[in-house]
Amino acid sequence: MTDGDEYIELHAASAFSFLDAASQPETLIERAAEIEMPALALADRNGLYGAARFHTTAKKCGVKAHIGAEIAVSSFANRLTPTSWLPHQCPAEPPRLLLLCATQAGYQNLCQLITRFKMREAIKAEGAATLDDLEEFSAGLICLSGGEEGPLAAALAHEGNSGARKLADRLTAIYGRGNLYIELQRHQQREEECRNQSLLSLASSLNLPVIATNGVRYATEKDREILDVLTSIRYHTELDRAGRLLAFNSARSLRTASEMSAIFRDIPEAIANTRIVSRRLDFTLNHLGYEFPRYPVAYGETMDSFLAQRVEEGVSKRYGSPAKRNLLAKARTQVEHELKLIAKLGFAGYFLIVWDLIRYCQQQGILVQGRGSAANSAVCYALEITAVDPVGMELLFERFLSENRGEWPDIDLDLPSGDQREQVIQYVYERYGQLGAAMTANVISYRGRSAAREVGEALGFDEEQLARLSGLVGHWEWRGENDTMARHFEQAGFDARHPRIACYLDLCMRMQDLPRHLGQHSGGMVICAGMLNRVVPIERASMPGRTVIQWDKEDCADLGLIKVDLLGLGMMAVLKDSIELIPRHYKKEIDLAALPEDQHVYETLRKADTVGMFQVESRAQMASIPHNAPVRFYDLVVQVAIIRPGPIVGKMMHPYMRRRQGKEEVTYPHPSLEPVLKRTLGVPLFQEQLLRMAMTVASFTGAEAEELRRAVGMRRSMQRMRDLEGRLRDGMTRNGIGPEAQDNIVQGISSFAMYGFPESHAASFALIAYASAYLKVHFLAAFTCGLLNNQPMGFYSPAVLIKDAQRHGLHVRPICVQHSEWLCALEEEPDRALSLRIGLHYVKGLRQSSAEALLAARSRCMAFANVDDLALQVPELNRKELVALARVGALNSLGEVEHRRDALWQVEQAGRPVGPLLRGAADARAATPRRMPLKQMTTEERLSADYAGTGLTTGPHPMAYHRAALRKQGILSARELEGCAGNSFVRVAGCVIARQRPGTAKGFVFLSLEDETGIANVILTPDVFEQNRLIVTRSRFLEIEGRLQNQDGVIHVKAQCMTPLDISSADIRSHDFY
Amino acid sequence: MKQKLYLCVHASEFPAQALLRLRTEFAAEPVAVLEGRAPVETVCSLNSGARLKGVALGMTRHEAESIPGLRLLARSIETEAAARSVFLECAAHFSPRIEAANQGTDCACILDISGTERLFGPPEALAERVRAAFRSAGFRVSIAVSANFHAARIKAAASRGITVIPDQQEAGSLARLPLALLGLQPEHAETFALWGIRTLGELAALEEIDLVTRLGPQAGAMHDLARGALPHAFQPIEADFALKEFCDFETPVDRSESLLFVGARMIDCLAARASARALSLASLDVHMKMEGGRAYQRAIRPALPTTDRKFLLKLLQLEIAAHPPLAAVHSLSLTGQAGQSSKVQLGLFAPQTPEPSRLDVTIARLKAIAGEDRVGSPVLEDSHRPGSFHMESFAVAGKTESRAAESAQAHPRMALRRMRPPVPIRVQLRALAPIAFRDRGHSFQITAAYGPWRTSGCWWSTDGWNAEEWDVLAENGNGSSVACLLVRNCARNEWRLEALYD
Repeated sequence: MTDGDEYIELHAASAFSFLDAASQPETLIERAAEIEMPALALADRNGLYGAARFHTTAKKCGVKAHIGAEIAVSSFANRLTPTSWLPHQCPAEPPRLLLLCATQAGYQNLCQLITRFKMREAIKAEGAATLDDLEEFSAGLICLSGGEEGPLAAALAHEGNSGARKLADRLTAIYGRGNLYIELQRHQQREEECRNQSLLSLASSLNLPVIATNGVRYATEKDREILDVLTSIRYHTELDRAGRLLAFNSARSLRTASEMSAIFRDIPEAIANTRIVSRRLDFTLNHLGYEFPRYPVAYGETMDSFLAQRVEEGVSKRYGSPAKRNLLAKARTQVEHELKLIAKLGFAGYFLIVWDLIRYCQQQGILVQGRGSAANSAVCYALEITAVDPVGMELLFERFLSENRGEWPDIDLDLPSGDQREQVIQYVYERYGQLGAAMTANVISYRGRSAAREVGEALGFDEEQLARLSGLVGHWEWRGENDTMARHFEQAGFDARHPRIACYLDLCMRMQDLPRHLGQHSGGMVICAGMLNRVVPIERASMPGRTVIQWDKEDCADLGLIKVDLLGLGMMAVLKDSIELIPRHYKKEIDLAALPEDQHVYETLRKADTVGMFQVESRAQMASIPHNAPVRFYDLVVQVAIIRPGPIVGKMMHPYMRRRQGKEEVTYPHPSLEPVLKRTLGVPLFQEQLLRMAMTVASFTGAEAEELRRAVGMRRSMQRMRDLEGRLRDGMTRNGIGPEAQDNIVQGISSFAMYGFPESHAASFALIAYASAYLKVHFLAAFTCGLLNNQPMGFYSPAVLIKDAQRHGLHVRPICVQHSEWLCALEEEPDRALSLRIGLHYVKGLRQSSAEALLAARSRCMAFANVDDLALQVPELNRKELVALARVGALNSLGEVEHRRDALWQVEQAGRPVGPLLRGAADARAATPRRMPLKQMTTEERLSADYAGTGLTTGPHPMAYHRAALRKQGILSARELEGCAGNSFVRVAGCVIARQRPGTAKGFVFLSLEDETGIANVILTPDVFEQNRLIVTRSRFLEIEGRLQNQDGVIHVKAQCMTPLDISSADIRSHDFY
Repeated sequence: MKQKLYLCVHASEFPAQALLRLRTEFAAEPVAVLEGRAPVETVCSLNSGARLKGVALGMTRHEAESIPGLRLLARSIETEAAARSVFLECAAHFSPRIEAANQGTDCACILDISGTERLFGPPEALAERVRAAFRSAGFRVSIAVSANFHAARIKAAASRGITVIPDQQEAGSLARLPLALLGLQPEHAETFALWGIRTLGELAALEEIDLVTRLGPQAGAMHDLARGALPHAFQPIEADFALKEFCDFETPVDRSESLLFVGARMIDCLAARASARALSLASLDVHMKMEGGRAYQRAIRPALPTTDRKFLLKLLQLEIAAHPPLAAVHSLSLTGQAGQSSKVQLGLFAPQTPEPSRLDVTIARLKAIAGEDRVGSPVLEDSHRPGSFHMESFAVAGKTESRAAESAQAHPRMALRRMRPPVPIRVQLRALAPIAFRDRGHSFQITAAYGPWRTSGCWWSTDGWNAEEWDVLAENGNGSSVACLLVRNCARNEWRLEALYD
């Protein structure tokens, strides 16, 4: 390529121009590298959403990444649309200018400009800048006039040459001569060429330079198809009806320099100017100018000294107890080491800011606990950020912070989900200002179902077809050889060979992972010293009171932005509710930070009696926990970490369990790894171990080990992992490790690519798991009450949680208007035992405002006399709500109500006053003795009404009513399975409460069948599943026949055949994982 | 006053019945009828053979095709409409007072048979005759007779064969039937389900006043309905308003003269019936059933409603000449839409325009010669496809002021003379640009070429295009020059001379 041919594309939009362009920023860069383009500028619509990824990929590919944005400006005439006499559908939109960042000041101005007009909107919206905004934030930016979407094209069309001239003058005044370029694009359209000629004469008369761009919207010509689909989606129409909204041709791809030079052969200066502008664009995202805020300390103090004092106070408090005094000296040494490093790296402010948040939570009575690698730090423990003692547990501090890493530490805080978490988030906004803190974004991408549905809509499938088509995608996690999309389509009654279906399939695949829109991350907050809006644009989130930056958490990490994750954890809310209920009802105080090691709790865990407990309640956990047989806290840490895709795919779970049970000898992949793996019996389970392994066997440096950790922890890491694997193997070869051992080690590390778990994180979770187990074992009523009041959460539905609590002896009382509160509550029985009263919020269709009115009326009148009294006292209750209450038996305790149907009969009249015509007759009837014409509900009808009206029942389990008949047929209950010999042929039946087809189980399906005695576990081989697919997926009650497997108390039935059971028509929901 | 008596004739699975009555050869086979748009069609109706094979409503075509021996037919609304008229005609043989009572895909009608005893005998005998008549017309029906209109309707829908409900026994006869037959609103259906009321008898057993005070005044009607005591104001269909004539040929007809002979008589009747009510025929829908199950449907729409028999016959003749049936015809039906008689008040100074009926005939003739889609006003399509337009029928517009004309005046444009059809040419290229072309023996040297202008689209269908256009100035050997538009079809690499610039 000659210099004359060298062309730089300065106007490329990525799919982060949401629905306006069709290629990922990474794809654009890769294409630029492929066509040997030395630099490329990204300019997405009203944002820098893709800039971080663009920059990161560009660094790898050796392409210079220029940053810019297309900015909508409302002060200009609307952008060009087809002439009015043509049939067209283009809605009015403001035109967009292209602004490129020449300097860091320019970048900061661009960020502020975008933030300004985005935040001007009251809600999440596209927004548009005004001329005043452009003037205020013009320095350091180079302005290109835009192509057909630009203001000059619009001005030429609306006002002719004079209007265009006026506009160009205005832009020159704003950006200065030399910083405004008249943009020429050639997409082989006649009208565009006509406009180009006008622009050329305008540029010549005003002595403005011209510049060629291709207004890129996709990387290759073929991707235009995706853009057309996105356009249809954007305008809510079908491809067949989109008409002129669609692309004219496929010319807006990233073209080669020679193609562009040929196209602009007659205007060589337009090509030459791209090189000149590119050279002027000094700024890259390497120089972001981000700074974490400083913590204010008293005069004469430094942040380091202040931190050291707080840590010293914490150490004395944490290790001052007699139980831990032996660790005090070790702890002091450790914190001294950590503080030195923190001071050296300048992170004291960060720790203090997190400490400040913790202190705020403590003051407000909000339960908070740090998780993640922070639990490796004694400083975090001393500052009460975390609850895991890293000194006592000998955790690796370097996993959290190391000198070589060059990265900010990552502290995640778990808070009770709901209002209290929001309170903490609002505190951060208040403390650092609306433009000093913001949530990190969560880029919502096209995944299986969303792509399937939206592509289907674009191709014109109707609602019913769409439901069927999108229902096929993503159903059941595992994908085997025969589990192709085409096969799913055939099974659902579609012909995959039909051209439209084939086109649909192809587009669905190509749309995967393209960004759809921007959401907010569940809890990540970025805080900045000074103005965050100069580092990254901030915009409104859809949730009121929240703002969000334009990058997601991985982008933030790549660019060194520091975030604090304020995550909502349902179990934290349960713990908080429980510790409030326990003193009130059990007359005992409980300190979650100092729960005793209780063998009764471990015994319960060993029996896998874990329904409702944090992290250890799932089917897979229940199946493995008896093998692991935890007797101390560290066993629980391992248990939490081991049932993860990482260890399972890496084939580490079974070896660990066998070794744990003494069935297998403890060996090490290499003798040098013994110190690293001793604690986990020679099996690598934690990220820290993988780091240490890499450092030990392949002589990785801290930085390399860190790179490895980042790669295994990230979703977009497959390529990085492959690169690192080569280096790992080279290192191992140098250290004389044989190929087989290398394979083992590499497999161990690669398995963590999906969901690696750090030991410290597992320990934090294990603390919560232990607390939940302790509360369940000792304070069942309070714990169950907490669980039911914080749904949805966990693995089981409220119906299952209640049945489990009842089996453990808890008396659960039904919903009652005379006794129930809005939430579930504890009541004292005459024998002083505690019972649980289900709250009114479980009544489907009952508004909270009506329930509150009911509670207020009840507190006024003490109790309602009868249905009429209720309707009279609580006029807010409408007829539907009264019916909903009557249906679930909540009115049964009212006077003159004999049963639910009686209540239903009465509420229909209570909710509906008699008209004047019938009043006399009604009065006469009222004088006569009351007659109840409706029959009492049968057991089956009551069950159906319970499940339909509340999703649960406090009465007997549906299976209990049929036990005698089932027993006659030789069908066993879940508990009876425990007494059966291994490999015996059994029949068991129950209600399906969970169906799982995990990605790690090679097509095996796991069912959980519940009956009145407990939960039976059923395994289906892929063949059995295929033969009974419909029965398995649709039946609510199943009878299973098969061989019983009993491995150390873990009981499964390996199904051979199955029959749907007609036990009840109650709408019992199964929790299906796919 | 004489006792009222009603007879309800109910045909379930009517889409299947309507198709099978014309195809008796399939009657013994399991047949399912599909509706919906490809690629997703679902079973909407089936016969008993198909039900025995395990076919269920809502199955997809793919699922149904996997059942061996099952015959699949496409639903035809036209066939059903024709069958319905036959159904009513059949019923009209027994009573002049008929009320339609169709529900969903079922077809039903209720005959007022009060006082027919002398003509047809007791109700049982009449019901047998009605059933026989319907069977001979190709329908399998259930029949119920009752003194109450709704009781007859509900009983017929719920039972098979013939049921005669004795007077005053309506409530007992309906008692065991499911509540769903009342067609209740979802809200009421849900309330009754909660109350445990599942049959009409259970509903009837409740006190009416209890119901009315709870569910409102309409509950009284529900209660009466359940007891078979709800009065009904009979609303007989007046068949004359249908303006439909139907002829089912005993043997398929393949000569247009024969069709027109019958068609002329049909038009006579339709025009006479319309005239008798001071109406005209605004349009005539021509519907034919052809061999192979295909349907033929055309519409004749005169510019103004008319009863001119000759004129309408001429239009029918031209229509059939322009669009001859592709196979022999089983049946012909003409359905007229009534309109007010045409009266046009001409202005004294308004320019004379052709008589509307003559204009219609002329346009119909043009269409017969040039093709249906080649006569009318061209309308631009919303597409980037070059030269895309379609024709729409001429219509009388309020104002003829054209914004296009305004626009053209404001921005004068060069005229483009399209070649119809485009002329295939051979083009010589240099560096991908045309330098010369040959058109039917004439050679042109290109002196200037502007382009390529590219356009492509519709990539998701078989109707896609991908073209490259060049505006060229060319000279031939004798020194004359032309400015023309050359187009390359990129998919086939074919060049055509598409237009000349004036």
